[in-house]
Amino acid sequence: MTSITLRSLRKEYNGQVAIPNLDLDIHDGEFFTLLGPSGCGKTTLLRMIAGFNSIEAGTISFDDVVINDRSPAARNIGMVFQSYALFPQMTAAKNVAFGLQTRNIERAESIRRVEAALESVHMAHLKDRLPGEMSGGQQQRVALARALVIQPAVLLMDEPLSNLDAKLRVEMRDTIREAQREAGITTVYVTHDQEEAMAVSDRIAVMSMGVVQQVGSPAEIYRNPANRFVAEFIGKTNLIVRDLHQRDGVTTLDLGEGVSVDVTSTIAPGVSGRVQVSVRPEAVRAGGSGLQAEVVEETFLGSHSQIRARLSTGETIEFLEFSRRASLWERGEKVVLQLDTEMLTYFDAETGASIMQGAKL
Amino acid sequence: MPRFNFWTVVMILTWVMLFVLLFIPVGSVLVSSLYDQSGNPTIANYLKFLGEPRFHQAFINTLVVGFGGLIGALLLGSIMAFCVSRFVIGGGRFVSLLAILALVSPPFIGAYSWIVLFGAGGVVRGFLRDMGVNMPPIYGVGGILIVFSLKFYPYVYLMVSGALSNVNRSLEEAAEGLGLTPLQRTFKISFPMVFPALTAGGLLALIHAIADFGTPRLLGRGYNVLATEAFTLYSAEVGSNMSMATTISVVLILVSMVFVLLQRYMSRRNVYHGNMINKPVRIKLKGWRNVLAHVAVYFIGLSGAMPVIISVIYSFRKTSGPVFQSGFALQSYERILFNLGDVVRNSLTFSLTAVALIVIVGTVVGVLVARRTNFNTALLDGAFMVPYVMPGIVIGIAFIAAFNTGPIVLTGTATIIILSVFIRRLPYTVRTTASSLRQISPSMEEAAISLGYSPFQAFLRITVPLIVPGIIAGGMLSFVTAINELSSSLVLYVGSTMTMPVRIYLLILDGDFGTAAALSTVLLVLSGGAVYIAFRFMGRNEQALL
Repeated sequence: MTSITLRSLRKEYNGQVAIPNLDLDIHDGEFFTLLGPSGCGKTTLLRMIAGFNSIEAGTISFDDVVINDRSPAARNIGMVFQSYALFPQMTAAKNVAFGLQTRNIERAESIRRVEAALESVHMAHLKDRLPGEMSGGQQQRVALARALVIQPAVLLMDEPLSNLDAKLRVEMRDTIREAQREAGITTVYVTHDQEEAMAVSDRIAVMSMGVVQQVGSPAEIYRNPANRFVAEFIGKTNLIVRDLHQRDGVTTLDLGEGVSVDVTSTIAPGVSGRVQVSVRPEAVRAGGSGLQAEVVEETFLGSHSQIRARLSTGETIEFLEFSRRASLWERGEKVVLQLDTEMLTYFDAETGASIMQGAKL
Repeated sequence: MPRFNFWTVVMILTWVMLFVLLFIPVGSVLVSSLYDQSGNPTIANYLKFLGEPRFHQAFINTLVVGFGGLIGALLLGSIMAFCVSRFVIGGGRFVSLLAILALVSPPFIGAYSWIVLFGAGGVVRGFLRDMGVNMPPIYGVGGILIVFSLKFYPYVYLMVSGALSNVNRSLEEAAEGLGLTPLQRTFKISFPMVFPALTAGGLLALIHAIADFGTPRLLGRGYNVLATEAFTLYSAEVGSNMSMATTISVVLILVSMVFVLLQRYMSRRNVYHGNMINKPVRIKLKGWRNVLAHVAVYFIGLSGAMPVIISVIYSFRKTSGPVFQSGFALQSYERILFNLGDVVRNSLTFSLTAVALIVIVGTVVGVLVARRTNFNTALLDGAFMVPYVMPGIVIGIAFIAAFNTGPIVLTGTATIIILSVFIRRLPYTVRTTASSLRQISPSMEEAAISLGYSPFQAFLRITVPLIVPGIIAGGMLSFVTAINELSSSLVLYVGSTMTMPVRIYLLILDGDFGTAAALSTVLLVLSGGAVYIAFRFMGRNEQALL
């Protein structure tokens, strides 16, 4: 069991700063995901932990032992690559056994472990296949077995599912989660796919431009995003701009058309003026009392529909509706939108930082 | 940091090697061309080159055979490529085999076989004369061009058929959907896409044509080119003129350099397009069109392979001295066995030694060039261009100029022949090793490192096994080049270091064609065996022969 501690980490490429100053704590046995758009520094960070990238400043520690100067081979890591990186001249079983050969493990023990590892990713029946004879999903399963069989202190995965098709991705992420839980290995997982991150992670670090924007469980970062970037990157949301009003120690948000919300206990004290309101699609319901709107478009998706409507202010709100009605919404049809005020989150209109109570201001 | 030291040592040794085997010889050629016979600096040699009609003529003749060879090769090669890649041709693999035969046979054999058929006393010509048809003998520029066209068309054929069969059919279908007629489609869509391949293949034919020595020597009959002039000036027993020979060599290098640079530029543009999900299908022709396509393909293929066929047949003919008798016998082979064993042995030892050196040095330097990218390696990569532009005859003269006197004297040794082959073929191995290394994803080695191997172990256990088949195949193809090398060996050999091509050349000059044919057949079997092994290791890939 290994915890990973990153302190004041800095990465430069030819004078260009990729990661300015980064701190992270990854706990024992945790499935930890680095999530962000391409170019945010997540793969760079993973490769620094693996030892393939140099470290310009700061420290990386496994269990409080600084490993900056250890070679990748000496870090006891298992790595799964985006391109699988299976050795094309070796069968599945030989690929998996490769890491055991350098560890002086008894032959019988080695065979047993290789078989167990292949079994855990449901690939035992294809152990004599060459990588060229396997599908992408099968190759990635073997790559996972190869990384796990050496019982590494840390499992590192660099976008392992991005070369697979959508259906296989869902299947594989269950396999990965299952195998990781069984082995209980501290895992750092890199992806740009927020849904994938939510599905597999214990905790997620959302990154942008080399800076960690927020660390938290999937539910935390979805329900209480630290800033507008996180709110927009994780899931879908509608952002509208409204004013706060203070009177007699009570803060209210004026949503318009006579609808207002008492936010005294939700918004941090001392905040006033214009704010951005993040309205998740599931916080909107058609019908009842609320804001007047006009339907722009309904996209029928089977179990539910995605509906886009325009408020009288001109702002667009997207929301979801289960397919219960016999007919679809007409373009231009009037609709009243009721907002679940419990589910709204608020950001500073200028900086985009969260102004919720308890948020770091 | 021991690894750093290892590669630094490799880098230094590579530069030393290039300096000794390349820069000194080329420098010696240049220096020698700037001195007169008595050792005074002068530019008189160049003035003489510009002034004398004999050299003008050789210069013009070189361009004539170069461009003539280019046009002939383009014509034959593109017809064959078009037919084979677009129509169903019976025995398509056999046709490719014919093209390979033409490519791996030594060109002077081609020249002599055509003399046998169409020379002054030629078999076919005699037969036609009996029929009442009089045709001129094949000697002179016409003959040279015919031989070059038939010898070098495979360059165009292999390049263009590669490009043609990779043109995405969807592009032509898209053009069809936009309303273009088949003719318009061919000229507006397909032609521009194979144009780089056409020019690159044609220029390859041109480069080989201007460097060729054996063909104009045997067929020219007074039609001199720069390569033959350089050799004549160097080897003349009376009035040998080394400084004039080197002057011509410099001119030949310059001419060759222009076309090599042009060829490389066109090759780089010859990129095949996208993912080939939608490959063109071959059309099955009907009626006279089908007959025409087959006749064209087989006529070109068989004509190109004719010299090989003739040599093999003649090698089994009964002889009395140098004169052929009717009937078949193994006399010619007996003569090789009893009199020419040392020549065969020389060829084999020289070629195998050169290939072993090429493989070892080429691989190490290839790794250096591919993996340690910095200014130094870029410069190294550039320096390896130089042997590409050196015709064999020039390498020979350059080695004589460099190693005849001075600190290192090598003339008359086996070493000098081995080194001349080594330096000429080394760049191919360096480049193929470097490019195959660049194609292996770096995450493969990283995976091995993450599993606990050191970077050097990872390289040895993962990368090396992946590139070894390519290296063996490349070595086999180098062997083909090495064992067929005539022009530099002709300058460098002495009695005890005679090789098979040199012996064949001398036998042809002596009129002993039976022995020459048998020796050529041995050469051909060795080359064919090497090509077969190469194809076994890397799959049947005719493109690798280019």
